[in-house]
Amino acid sequence: MSKVKSFAGGAHPPGNKGLSSGAAVVRLPAPEVVTVPLCQHLGAPSKPVVKPGDEVKRGSVIGEQNGFISLPTHSPVNGKVLRVENAPMPHMRSGPAVVIKTESEDGGEVYEPISDWKNADISLIINRIKEAGVCGMGGASFPTYVKLSPPEGVKIDTLIINGVECEPYLTADHRLMLERADDLITGMNILARVLGVSDPCIGIEVNKPDAIKLLEKKGARVVRLKVQYPQGAEKQLIDAAAGREVPAGGLPLNVGVVVQNAGTCVAVADAVCKGMPCIRRITTVSGLGVTSPGNFDVCVGTPVSTLIEAAGGYRGDVQRLISGGPMMGMAMFTDAAPATKGMSGILALTPDEVRDVAEGPCIRCGKCVDVCPLRLCASVIATASEYGKWEDAEKAGALNCMACGTCSYVCPAGRYLVHHIKRAQNEIRAIIRAREA
Amino acid sequence: MAESRIFDLAVSPHIGSSQTTKRVMWDVVIALIPALIAAFWFFGPRALLLAGVSVGAAVLTEWLCLKFMKRPVNFAFDGSAVVTGLLLAYNVPAGVPWWLPVLGSAFAIAVAKQAFGGLGHNIVNPALLGRAFLMASFPVLMTAGWIAPMQWKDGERIDVQACGVPTAQLSESGELDALSGATPLNVLKQTFTWEGDPERSEEVRSMLFSRESLKNLFMGRIGGCIGETSVIMLLLGAIYLILRGVLELRLPLSYLGSVALFGWLFGGPGWLDGNALFHLLAGGVILGGFFMVTDMVTTPVTKKGRIIFGIGAGLLTMVIRRWGGYPEGCSYSILLMNLATPLIDRYTRPQSFGEVSSNG
Ligand code: SF4
Ligand code: SF4
Repeated sequence: MSKVKSFAGGAHPPGNKGLSSGAAVVRLPAPEVVTVPLCQHLGAPSKPVVKPGDEVKRGSVIGEQNGFISLPTHSPVNGKVLRVENAPMPHMRSGPAVVIKTESEDGGEVYEPISDWKNADISLIINRIKEAGVCGMGGASFPTYVKLSPPEGVKIDTLIINGVECEPYLTADHRLMLERADDLITGMNILARVLGVSDPCIGIEVNKPDAIKLLEKKGARVVRLKVQYPQGAEKQLIDAAAGREVPAGGLPLNVGVVVQNAGTCVAVADAVCKGMPCIRRITTVSGLGVTSPGNFDVCVGTPVSTLIEAAGGYRGDVQRLISGGPMMGMAMFTDAAPATKGMSGILALTPDEVRDVAEGPCIRCGKCVDVCPLRLCASVIATASEYGKWEDAEKAGALNCMACGTCSYVCPAGRYLVHHIKRAQNEIRAIIRAREA
Repeated sequence: MAESRIFDLAVSPHIGSSQTTKRVMWDVVIALIPALIAAFWFFGPRALLLAGVSVGAAVLTEWLCLKFMKRPVNFAFDGSAVVTGLLLAYNVPAGVPWWLPVLGSAFAIAVAKQAFGGLGHNIVNPALLGRAFLMASFPVLMTAGWIAPMQWKDGERIDVQACGVPTAQLSESGELDALSGATPLNVLKQTFTWEGDPERSEEVRSMLFSRESLKNLFMGRIGGCIGETSVIMLLLGAIYLILRGVLELRLPLSYLGSVALFGWLFGGPGWLDGNALFHLLAGGVILGGFFMVTDMVTTPVTKKGRIIFGIGAGLLTMVIRRWGGYPEGCSYSILLMNLATPLIDRYTRPQSFGEVSSNG
């Protein structure tokens, strides 16, 4: 058995994964109306190519790619376009979406499968991944094809599949690794071939022994990782699994590494081998504020309220609704928002689970410094930010912060460190833009 | 379709560890209790009285200051004022009049803490500045108020000596049993200055470093400030703090290590012949090392900085003990290092992840 690896820093928030880790994925039928966001990926939203009254097929393009860092969007159902409008979003206040009345959910217009992907032209495969709208399924939603097209002269020698799922509560990737292991491995091999990497590996925390065992049995190379937040952060994962430190402000490809999420691999396999565009995903619905937490295979565009209903509805006093995990996820103001490709989970948390304290003065305990995986002094940056000293914040490394939340989590004074740091990042970026303009 | 519901927004992360400022402070209070029990045992009820009035004065002063500055008064009960009050009492001899720690605590809170902006903003350890204020204003009371610890006779506790023994007298009479009246560090200091009687100095020193003497130091059966004498009880508190995850060990270990090293280097009459164990056990080093060097607010936030702080404070402690004007240097050394903390923090900021390789 290989050694259990890890990174320096981090914290150990309670995992609470037992709430849903045993629940097999339930496939939910498409709801009567889907609200498909055109801004599910990072970068420019897709440009809508349908109008109210149009008939659409499952898999037909309803929004086309709009720039290099952008992706097309597909209809998850056969039906009729009702509206093209701005709708509430899980990850932002509102964004453009196509509202479709569902008629059925079978057949449709899928792409031609590339069954001989082992010999097919690599540009064909990359193009398929692009036209199928595949983006990172771990949360950041970066267009996958971009990561597969490294700039001239950059040599990629390592592909790491991220099966860490270090956010508490979330179990979608865990279930995916158990239930779609073959597709996962196929997707990983496709990506490896595209990148020219010979020996890809999957990083998994040791709290998922069943997934580790299954994937190893199927011949995948698994890197065992210590249970420690944020083990799944790209830079930390690369540090732990490959022993390489990504430069500050740099990308994994600067050290010859590409990281892809486990869910992304399955989406790649679906796109390449089945010609299926990215219109569904597996997501966790959990928290003590839902009756029966579980994992669901849902159409993008399904309202969160429908997901909550599938999990037995709300229970007790729900204080916060979160898209994603409790460490980095976004609080949502309404459950009318739709599921997206990047939605790893929906959490309904009760007051017992949420920490909601008044921010106290910093007692300079240094805990935030001890735990920061990027070795930043969160308290220093946050204080500079509170006083509006953007330059000091920048000097202290504000722009390097990945907002993992470990510092806020451990702060005994309950300071909103991440919030202050993000604010500083926005201000600094605005200053830099102004300087360049 | 399900009815939609509205929720409050908030920033991430949405969960937090159970450790709060209040819990940290009260944990420190709890960790200080064993030493108070020892003080009661060795110095009698007077120790409790002094600690009580000191804590009362600290909390009351904090409350008044907050009230006066129109800030939320419940900060007065976050435990930090209780810690300051206790630590101040622990740093005065048991024979002082009751108003002395009251004055010290009030000064500590009002001047050293609230005048700087309250919790988290003070530059130096309030309790130590309070003590320094008392030393400067009432030097006689602060250095002559030693009470000899209670002793045992036929299974009964007897009070051998209720009042302070001026140290000057001690040095001239040179009686062995008088050792129990002053602090061991006083005596050690005097052996360095007895001129013309090196043999006597040597004899007294070997007595100080004897097994018996070290055992007394460990248990606390010696003269000293209220809360500093019983090493074993202080260690008990320290273990509690470690178990509660409150104590970060870099500060105490680097401080104690530095005291031991420099104590051995120059803590004796010549070079390389000091008794490291004696220097660790005597005076305020254990109290300081686990409860004052570790004060979060006034020490560096960086890991490297904490080690530098500890080593610096240990060095200064030993320099004062050996060559300074006082027999004990623990509290002044920490105060001095408190002043250096912002500088240490500035120069020990860690290189952030990936900064090294970005040049390559
Ligand atoms: S963890 Fe909180 S209280 Fe401690 S130093 Fe950091 S910001 Fe200050
Ligand atoms: S949120 Fe930023 S500063 Fe805080 S621990 Fe994570 S990377 Fe470090």
